[in-house]
Amino acid sequence: MSLTVAAICVADLTYAYPGGITALDRLRFAVAKGESVGLVGPNGAGKTSLFLCLSGVLPVKAGAAQVAGLDPARPEDRRRLPATVGIVFQNSDDQLFNSTVFDDVAFGPLNLNLPADEVRLRVAEALDCVGMSGLEQRLPFHLSGGEKRRVALAGVLAMRPKILLLDEPSMHLDPRGRREFIRLVNGLEVTKVIASHDLELILETCKRAIVLDHGTIVADGPARSLFADQMLMETHGLEVPHSLSHHRDDQRHHI
Amino acid sequence: MTLSFETLPTSASSWNRIDPRWKLAGIIFATGAVIFLQTFSAAALALAGAWLLVIAGRLPIKQFMKRMGALAVFLFLFTVWLPFMTKDDGPSWAWGWVHMSFRGLELAAVFWCKGLAIVSLVLVALATTPLHSLLQAAQALRIPRVLVHVLLLTQRYVFYLVHEFSRMRTALRVRGFRNRATMHSYRTIGHVAGTLLVRSSEQAVRVGHAMRCRGFDGKLHSVVEFRTTVKDVELFLLIVVSATAVLVWDMAQR
Repeated sequence: MSLTVAAICVADLTYAYPGGITALDRLRFAVAKGESVGLVGPNGAGKTSLFLCLSGVLPVKAGAAQVAGLDPARPEDRRRLPATVGIVFQNSDDQLFNSTVFDDVAFGPLNLNLPADEVRLRVAEALDCVGMSGLEQRLPFHLSGGEKRRVALAGVLAMRPKILLLDEPSMHLDPRGRREFIRLVNGLEVTKVIASHDLELILETCKRAIVLDHGTIVADGPARSLFADQMLMETHGLEVPHSLSHHRDDQRHHI
Repeated sequence: MTLSFETLPTSASSWNRIDPRWKLAGIIFATGAVIFLQTFSAAALALAGAWLLVIAGRLPIKQFMKRMGALAVFLFLFTVWLPFMTKDDGPSWAWGWVHMSFRGLELAAVFWCKGLAIVSLVLVALATTPLHSLLQAAQALRIPRVLVHVLLLTQRYVFYLVHEFSRMRTALRVRGFRNRATMHSYRTIGHVAGTLLVRSSEQAVRVGHAMRCRGFDGKLHSVVEFRTTVKDVELFLLIVVSATAVLVWDMAQR
């Protein structure tokens, strides 16, 4: 995929933890503008590390990644990344640290040095988008898991990123919250990479999936066909999602 | 054990409209003056002055008194020994081998009044200004950035630590742990404290990542713009003059 149409272009991305353990090993993939890609794999596969590399938090080699045309290895590009790439962390508590919901959602836009009126507008829009309007003065620490997740997402949406990286977005969500979250994510017209163990969620939000294991890409293709491959799933610590296993059982039954 | 870390409800007084920079500067000056007091009458006067500010700031008295009560008991644990441990030639009271110095009693009272006065002043600042504005004011007053960040995250971590501690305590209880004066209990408490520190450190790293991902460059921003009025300066001067007067009176009495 050429760089002009790719929102994310990764070429030989490698990252090792300070102890020397390789977290990501020569990854190569591209994500087109507006595409939604599921990133699946067992615990410790390197999903979160990949997100942190793409957002410029963990150091990468120059030229190993291009995110919205920016190279996370270059300091001047790295400074521009927060305005372009939004990352929603696995645990919302990592992301919420201000004393009110308003302050937390406004944190990112204020760091972009936007005028106060623009910040207020963005906060109102983002909270409205996640259905949390009216809770601006609440303490984030007293919200439920689902509400925290929405506020964390609002904090990222308020920065109007072109690329959204969602790390385990259905964690701490009850079935209704999860359903609303899927509807919300599907309504966002930005490039999305969603890392999750919840393969049903990936099936509902992404057409394409990447399977990551031990820091390497072991499969990349249509989510449905990858997730239906029992051998692939089980070899890499995953399971065929319920909806697809039913589908397969039905087919067997018909035969 | 019940832990309460609720913030004091924000009062609705004219103090809320005071420019946080002038308010914080005044409170810092007054706190500094209280620290240097050495006589009981000056410390008691400082406490009275701090409580006047509490009334003027319309802090919710019930919640305020609850906090003062808890603090008074806490300070008492430190000060109760002073009269019995101070050795001087001044008047004292003796009963058998028990010796109580009046100077020690005065020192305990001074310490107690100063502690209550300082915390009252801090509560006035916290209850009449949103924390974020207060931290931004601290930044504007050139208080070291590291200190401002520590204050910002302290509030967050108090909740986090309490939540984590509560979860670990539940996990211990369901596995039959009861806190007793035994080596096993002490060792377990030590492990819990260590685990809390390790988890907090890991959480701090993740919070740091999340902050950087949202463009944090070490500087706090706010939608609130500070504007100084004559009233702000008048209030600041009133606090500074009053605190200086108490300090001068204290020095004259020594």
